[in-house]
Amino acid sequence: MKYLAIVGTNADVSTNRMLLQFMQKHFASDVDIELCEIKALPAFYEPEGEEVPETVVELSKKIIDADGVIIATPEYDHAIPAVLKSALEWISYTSQALTDKPVLIVGASHGVLGSSRAQAHLRQILDSPELAARIMPSSEFLLGKSQEAFDYAGKLKYPDKLAELNEVFREFLLFTKITTELLAEKAVIKKDKKYTWQE
Amino acid sequence: MMKFIAIAGTSAKKSYNRSLLQFMKKYFEQKAEIEIMDIADVPMFNQSDDQSNTEILQMFNDKITESDGVIIATPEYNHSIPSSLKSLIEWLSFELHPLVGKPVMVLGASRDVQGSSRAQLHLRQILDAPGVDANVMPGYEFLLGNAHKAFDENGDLNSERTIDFLEICFLRFMRFSKISNLLNEEEEFEFNPGDYEVSTLGHGGSLPMKVTFSEKRIETIEIDREGETEGLADVVFTRIPDRIIEGQTLNVDALSGASETSNAVLDGVAKAIKLAGVNPDILKRRPKPPSALKREDEEYTCDVVVVGGGGAGLSAAATALQKGANTIVIEKYPAVGGNTIRSGGPVNAANPEWQSGFEENPGERTTIEGLLATDEKLIHAEYLEDFRALKKEFEAYEEKFKGTKGHLFDSPLLHRMQTYFGGKRTDLNGNDIYGQYDLVKIMTDHALESVKWLEEIGVEYDKSIVFAPVGALWRRGHKPVKSYGTAFILALRDYVEASSGKIITDSPVKEFILEDGEIKGVIATGENGQKITIHAKKVVLASGGFGANTKMLKEYNTYWQEIDDNIRTTNSYAMTGDGILLGQSVGAALTGMGFTQMMPVSDPETGELFSGIQVPPENFVIVNTEGKRFVNEFSGRDVLTKAAIEQGGLFYLIADSEIKKTAANTSEEKLELQVAAGTLFKADTIEALAEKVGMNPESLADTIKKYNSYVDAGFDPEFHKDTFSLKVEKAPFYATPRKPAVHHTMGGLKIDTSTRVLDEKGNPIKNLYAAGEVAGGIHAGNRLGGNALTDIFTFGRIAGRTAVEEM
Repeated sequence: MKYLAIVGTNADVSTNRMLLQFMQKHFASDVDIELCEIKALPAFYEPEGEEVPETVVELSKKIIDADGVIIATPEYDHAIPAVLKSALEWISYTSQALTDKPVLIVGASHGVLGSSRAQAHLRQILDSPELAARIMPSSEFLLGKSQEAFDYAGKLKYPDKLAELNEVFREFLLFTKITTELLAEKAVIKKDKKYTWQE
Repeated sequence: MMKFIAIAGTSAKKSYNRSLLQFMKKYFEQKAEIEIMDIADVPMFNQSDDQSNTEILQMFNDKITESDGVIIATPEYNHSIPSSLKSLIEWLSFELHPLVGKPVMVLGASRDVQGSSRAQLHLRQILDAPGVDANVMPGYEFLLGNAHKAFDENGDLNSERTIDFLEICFLRFMRFSKISNLLNEEEEFEFNPGDYEVSTLGHGGSLPMKVTFSEKRIETIEIDREGETEGLADVVFTRIPDRIIEGQTLNVDALSGASETSNAVLDGVAKAIKLAGVNPDILKRRPKPPSALKREDEEYTCDVVVVGGGGAGLSAAATALQKGANTIVIEKYPAVGGNTIRSGGPVNAANPEWQSGFEENPGERTTIEGLLATDEKLIHAEYLEDFRALKKEFEAYEEKFKGTKGHLFDSPLLHRMQTYFGGKRTDLNGNDIYGQYDLVKIMTDHALESVKWLEEIGVEYDKSIVFAPVGALWRRGHKPVKSYGTAFILALRDYVEASSGKIITDSPVKEFILEDGEIKGVIATGENGQKITIHAKKVVLASGGFGANTKMLKEYNTYWQEIDDNIRTTNSYAMTGDGILLGQSVGAALTGMGFTQMMPVSDPETGELFSGIQVPPENFVIVNTEGKRFVNEFSGRDVLTKAAIEQGGLFYLIADSEIKKTAANTSEEKLELQVAAGTLFKADTIEALAEKVGMNPESLADTIKKYNSYVDAGFDPEFHKDTFSLKVEKAPFYATPRKPAVHHTMGGLKIDTSTRVLDEKGNPIKNLYAAGEVAGGIHAGNRLGGNALTDIFTFGRIAGRTAVEEM
């Protein structure tokens, strides 16, 4: 199995990236996790004609090839960063690669709240018909005080948080399996969905 | 008439939200002035690339600040607001905060029936976030659904009911704005006059301050700067208090490169304000001081402009001034000093007259004999003659002191050959590199002249001791009396200023002024984003290396197996290779870029050398993250670094309470602070220490047991360490985390012996000179300790001189 882990920021130093790097190592025996940066994507615009930026095509392909997606989001102004929103707009406007894809949301913040409001927004956004991801329900992983959370070797230091992460991740593995089985039975009729991009 | 800024929350060319705002502008023009602003050109927010000073963001900041309120019309993308609108709000809640307390009206349009309902709710939450702190009008939700059917051919809303509701919403917003803006008036306050003594935590420990208040004003701020290093921190202690008093505000930006100390000063003053009976938040909400808002472009004309205010740049400027040229130094940091100010101080120069006053040390002759025993076949042709001449010099010396104790031997030839041998390296691709003869010759022949010139400028040396800085290979270091590299910088800075040279700080140079392809000066960005144009006949690049530019390090590296994404540096964070990029913009050739020097024992977080417990190598015990030794602790910087990189970078220095005493860099107080901060580990047993660090306790205990037995035996069968002193046996035990950090970038612009910058064909680029770490060719694969200073002062002077001579 293979997960794609999207670093939801373009900052050079990010504890969300560190969290994903840790998960990559920590869960290496369960699943292959590939980290994915979104910094190189252009800010979303409605392309004229069929032209889609190469970086967007690449991201879509990676999402399609993965069995599931993990998104780590910081919180900027109670919401997800513009750069992450922009990446999701690209996906929804072009490939809709996230449709039916199992998604786990995690997030880290310097304060104690662990990006809670951003995660709630991200759920609503991923649930929009143009994205239609299968977000793992009723579970969340919020890493507060993230600046002190990792040791020099990049290991997560808080034992309670580590236990929580293990549990959430175990659930996500199961959720991926069940969702994939469920969707195999879903009639593969690509509905002619209506999207509301024109303003 | 009230004035509002209206923002259509999309970068799309065609937008019903924009149409809606255009309608409002027209329809309400008798009631208020509405100016529509476009966000299409706002860059994507990135906290690592602050663009707050760009024209577009400044325009948003100024216009919103001056307005009575803001109207935002948002479309809905994926149940939320568009990323382009979010990006603007992120910029306006980062360094700029024009929305704080600003009345805001939220509305939106969409093609479907929703009328952006979910996006509007998100937008309200976003505008309520700390840092944005807008004052959003409650209720009066205006959702324009089926927007594609809502306008007539004139762009007017076609439903009377909709227009009526929009008007009520807008009238309400006008009243809301009036009331809301009253809240923005400052709380009234009065200080309890007097002196207040407070203490805050600076970089070097506790920072005592005294702040004096009258009823209405902060009058003076005095800081006891003992314990803080001179240099950049020094500037903080004058500039931050000056700005606070100037603007009677705590809304003062931290200085780049010294944010910790800057914030410490601000925190201290905030504490004092509280003691004087006033809530410091009131002063934090005040506007920035006027000088921080000065944004007029500046223009200067001079003979020579020097880019970079480190040792090389200031030497070039001082020399140019001595030769009567009108000179400007432009520095990107708030203070001059560059990397020079961080150096340990000793400058290498062979000075036999002085050195012969010192006795030779045991083993020194063996060192020279070893060097002279090198097979001539291994020596590059251009160095051969000097090699043979050095042999003769040394023969004469040995003749003179046969069987008796002699004095310390040295000569420019020995300095030259050591620089050559020290710099010879082979990279991963099998390419050899060694110091370019003509440049090495100039440096070693003129080193002493540089030392003496600095003495005339005002640097005082401690001549009672001859230094061999780490990695210098020989005792020829002239150490200033005043601490470290500061001595050179202060003397040079004072000299430049006293000679009417101008120093402009806080201003990174962005490009050359080119006229018909010829360099005619530089353009920089000033502290507040203003454009600084300096017309000059000659430009000297002395902007340092690229030790703080990870991207460049990785791009050029051909020497280290891997350069980590998180690699730190012992350098100033200003060292981002700016001069190299500038040189490339006019076709300059580069040389030796793949070779960098690492300092193996640096702080993994900060790159600093002086944190944790740093002891002489005979007392180091180096273990990897599994608690196992992996290298002879007595190896050179190169070997230690290579071994560490193979282990993944991170390693630990283990010490006990006796070894701790041999650390010259610290105090018990500092160590306890570091233990509390989690940057140093301390425990009563080796096993407990291992657990704290996250190692296997048994492996570490086993490693230490073996190491102690090697100390007893004086023999290390594993890694062949041959000099031992103390065992690790007395509690408490310590582990200092270390990681290699970039120390020097040997490569750079290709120059000739007169410091002219050369192009790919080897021809000088007109009007352009380079000196110091920005230039390459001298140190090749490895720089000797103490040679960086020799390099910068020698070639810095040559650059200043050549620039004036070729004017």
